[in-house]
Amino acid sequence: MSTIDTGERRRSGDARPVIPELIDEATIQSIAEDAWTALVGEDELLLPMPGELPDDVLSSWVDVVGPWTGTVVLTTGRQTAAELTRALLWDSAPELLDHEDVADAFGEIANVVGGNVKAALPGPSALSLPEVGAAPAVRNSADVCRVEVLWRGEPLTISVQGALPPLPVSQH
Amino acid sequence: MRALVIDDSRAMRRIVSSTLEKLGFEVNQAGHGREGLDVLDGGWVPDLVTVDWNMPVMDGLQFVSAVRANPAWRAMTIMMVTSESEHTQIVRALAAGAHEYVIKPFTADALRDKLALLGLLPQEVAL
Repeated sequence: MSTIDTGERRRSGDARPVIPELIDEATIQSIAEDAWTALVGEDELLLPMPGELPDDVLSSWVDVVGPWTGTVVLTTGRQTAAELTRALLWDSAPELLDHEDVADAFGEIANVVGGNVKAALPGPSALSLPEVGAAPAVRNSADVCRVEVLWRGEPLTISVQGALPPLPVSQH
Repeated sequence: MRALVIDDSRAMRRIVSSTLEKLGFEVNQAGHGREGLDVLDGGWVPDLVTVDWNMPVMDGLQFVSAVRANPAWRAMTIMMVTSESEHTQIVRALAAGAHEYVIKPFTADALRDKLALLGLLPQEVAL
C-alpha cells in the first residue's frame, strides 16, 4: 500500500519561531538609534513616532539566513533617502547625487542595522549584501516586527520580516 | 603612518578614512578584498588595514587569509571593521589573523581607543 506524502503532518510538527518571539520593537529602535548616532551624526535623533510615508518611497534591506530567516528592511521617502546620503557623505557628497550614491549610503545603513539585528537573534546566521529598491513583500503578517520613527520630521520604517509563508494550520 | 581602508560602501570608506586622516594617517582606499590586494601588490604597503567582512568579489576573511599567507606583509596590522557581530564570526576573524575587531556602528573615539591599544596612533589627536 502506498501513501501519498503531502508533507502536512511533517510541517504541522515543525514549530519555527516568528520574529516577535525573538526580538522586540525597543531593541530594534535601540539598534537603529546607535546606527544613526555613529553614521549620520551625534545629534541626529530618531523619534519613535509614526508618520505617513510619501507615495515615492525607497527601501534598503539585507537578508538574514539562519534559525530565523528573513529580511531587515528600511523604508523612507526617496527625498529623505537622498538627505540621509548627504548626511553620511558629508563634505564628500557630490552636488548632484545619483542613484548609486543613494543606494550605497542607504544600503550601508541597512547593512549596519541588519547586522546588529542578526546578532540579537539565535545564530549562527549569514547576512547578505545590501540591496536597494522596492521592499520585499511581507510573506507572513505574524512574522513581522515593525518600528516607525521620524528623522528630521520625515517618516522612516524598519521592518524585520520573515521570508517564509505561514505554516499550514493543523486540521487535527 | 599609512592606512588602507577596504569597504564596498563608499560612505563607510569616507567615514573610516576621515577619522584616520584626523588621527594623522595617510589613507588609501579599496572597494573589496581583491582591490586591496592589488594595492599591496603595487607596493603601497600600509601599517594598518581596516577591512569590512561582507563584500563582493573577495570578502574580508579571504583578504585576511591572503595577507597572512604572504610573509612580506607580516608586519601589517589588520583590523576588521564590520557589522558581523556574532561571537563565532569574531573568533573566525581573529583566528584567520586579524589583530582587532570593531563592530559597526562605532564612534570615532572607539576607533581611536582601539588604535591606541594596538600602539598605532601616529600622534595624540582629540577627535
